[in-house]
Amino acid sequence: MQLVPFSYNLRSLLVRRSTTLLTVVSIGATVAVISGVQALQQGFVTIFENGGRTDVAVFLRPGATTENQSGFTRSSADVLLKSIPEIALTDDGRPLASAENYMAVRLFKVGGGETNVPVRGVQPMTMTIRANDLQILEGRRFEPGTDEIMVGEKLTRRIRGCQLGEVIRLNTVPFTVVGIFTDEGTFSSEIWGDLERMGDALQRSVYNRVIGVLRPDVDVPALIEAQENHPQVPASVMTEADYLMSQTGMISATLLGLGAFLAVIMGIAAVFTTTTTMQAALAARTHEIGILACLGFRPVSILLSFLFESLVLGVLGGLVGILLTLPLNGIETGTTNMVTFTEVAFAFRITPQVLGTAILFSILLGLLGGAIPAFRAARMSAVEALRRG
Amino acid sequence: MPIRLIFRNLLRHKLRTALTVGSLAIAVFLLCVLRALVVSLDAGVRNSTSDRLIVQSAVSLFVNLPASYLGKLQAVEGVDSVARLQWFGGYYQDPSSFFAQFGVDPEEFLDMYPEFKIVDGSRERFLTERTACIVGRQTADRYGFKVGDTVPIIGTIFQRLDGTPWEFQVAAIYELDSIVWDETTIFFPFEYLEESLEGGTASGPPGSGVIYMHLAEGVNPVNIAAEVDGLFENGPQRVQTTTEAEFNAQFVSMVGNIPFFVTTIGGGVLAAILLAVINTMLLSGREQRHDMGVLKALGFSDWAVFGVMLGQGVVLCVLGGGVGIGLAQLSSPEIAKLLGTMFPGFEMTSEILTSACTLSLGIGLLSGALPAAATRKLMAVDAFRRGA
Repeated sequence: MQLVPFSYNLRSLLVRRSTTLLTVVSIGATVAVISGVQALQQGFVTIFENGGRTDVAVFLRPGATTENQSGFTRSSADVLLKSIPEIALTDDGRPLASAENYMAVRLFKVGGGETNVPVRGVQPMTMTIRANDLQILEGRRFEPGTDEIMVGEKLTRRIRGCQLGEVIRLNTVPFTVVGIFTDEGTFSSEIWGDLERMGDALQRSVYNRVIGVLRPDVDVPALIEAQENHPQVPASVMTEADYLMSQTGMISATLLGLGAFLAVIMGIAAVFTTTTTMQAALAARTHEIGILACLGFRPVSILLSFLFESLVLGVLGGLVGILLTLPLNGIETGTTNMVTFTEVAFAFRITPQVLGTAILFSILLGLLGGAIPAFRAARMSAVEALRRG
Repeated sequence: MPIRLIFRNLLRHKLRTALTVGSLAIAVFLLCVLRALVVSLDAGVRNSTSDRLIVQSAVSLFVNLPASYLGKLQAVEGVDSVARLQWFGGYYQDPSSFFAQFGVDPEEFLDMYPEFKIVDGSRERFLTERTACIVGRQTADRYGFKVGDTVPIIGTIFQRLDGTPWEFQVAAIYELDSIVWDETTIFFPFEYLEESLEGGTASGPPGSGVIYMHLAEGVNPVNIAAEVDGLFENGPQRVQTTTEAEFNAQFVSMVGNIPFFVTTIGGGVLAAILLAVINTMLLSGREQRHDMGVLKALGFSDWAVFGVMLGQGVVLCVLGGGVGIGLAQLSSPEIAKLLGTMFPGFEMTSEILTSACTLSLGIGLLSGALPAAATRKLMAVDAFRRGA
């Protein structure tokens, strides 16, 4: 079967530049909206995916799904800290486990307004566990047992009082910022300080969670099971990776749902636009179709030719859409993690998945939009087409 | 001006007209829904009144106010009544089936909120029975709760030590006069929670999350707020006193900059549809070149020809916009149900519909004007010479 040369389609698109351009940009706007929403979802999920370690276990009170719901008395926490055989040891034989406090604290945003910033009180062992996860960008770590704090790097641009040397008041106690740190996950939206000092300032006698590094060969499901039915200190256990992923559900699903909703609704409109354009192309080129038929091109070739042209429109639109979305990459924004009610900062991320979806989506728009005109073109008889043209 | 020609020309390409009207309808529908989302966000802020103040911890959303604060607030001059509220944070059957539950001081709370209308059941029972609760219309409909039913709620912050769920008896169903709250929340007596904690049958933080104050008439809320904040400046728990509007606004802004986000999406939708309609009209303009030349040769004025082109754009957009607005209007109760808890105030206001009308008309004028202007300047001779 002889195909109609592709250059015929490309030239036709060029001849009708203004229509081509309008259609392409219109599809581009559609693709851009959908990619933008998806880039937001990707950015949000990435933060939680990157931060979670599979070799760190999180212990929460049974029934609690997040740190802020969870709580252990000091004696319970002590049992967890010292007597779980699955937890790895330091070189000098101490368990690599640590108790932590967690609270959403009301602080002022740089641009005005308030938000809930997660404040974490940690034991010195947390710093050992996190030795490779956290990097100090400026200043130094807080000194255990003092009213010093270090703040996550993302907060420095969003929250007032988070510059080196500044003071943040927690309830009535002033804490001095001595360091700025970063990590790939959610910690860089948090404030860290000494567990006991924070507990005193915030008047909290219970610890929120215990974390521990697992030995390499630990059977995690068995540990989960055993700890749930532990006679003295029952606890829900999960890996840190699972813990963080469980928090992305609601917002991620909302964004994905919104993206899908927009894709369907705006996609239909974009298909209509493409059909209109291709239909006009068909009307203007009826004569040419007659000539093609006379030259011996089969109806299938003519069908494919029109579909190809419409596909090009779609893909060009997809590329324009991607170009429009690219500048979003890396732009930081924040939302409240609806599970912990704390603000988490994250950036739009144009991942390969976003690009792939954009291209597939635009191919689909092009093919669907070209379907009706292509069939109509293929069904024309040579004589009729020549007469009508 | 030959008005019939406007319609004749539109009917000449039925498929094109239908597709353009269709995509316009979709876009206008979408814009209406997006706009309604933004408007619904501040429903709680707009409907707030200035005679209610809310006292919360200045430290954190999750820090409770000590029990002793209630009496101190009640004693402040100008404060009419006070009601405690405690976020319960439990769930019914499954964590994903979310609606809010609050422990409240029933009588004080309902007196302070005349917006709450008991539509079914007994207010009296809620005021007197320890484990009674009132359920919002939306939640009652969604889960089929009826007056007299027992609703089991699994606690997360507050847990019963015997491991069983909390049980509340539905005393009444309420609806709201104005969306100052939402119709999904369950309220139960705060004292039941307090007694369970004190009696050792449940665990959880003591105290109450916030205290609502109702002000006497003619009192300046700003002065009272400042006075209350001053009372606890040195602890044990600093407080922040806000008007109801500020309090509700804090939750809206928590989600992030939704208005900006939604407006950006709306901009994308608008750009896509505007270009699409302009495309349609330019195509029509090009195809009708010859016809318009005929009209001019017959002696129709330049402006009459202009009008025929412009009219086509306007009619397209009025049709498309009309269908879109109709869709938005008709589907809004369903959408409101779907969004439920997240956007309790979702409503297609006449304001939104009016601006959608204006917008459709604007798109029509703009998209019609482009080919119309070209056609107006066209010389009949040129139209025939270059006409297709």
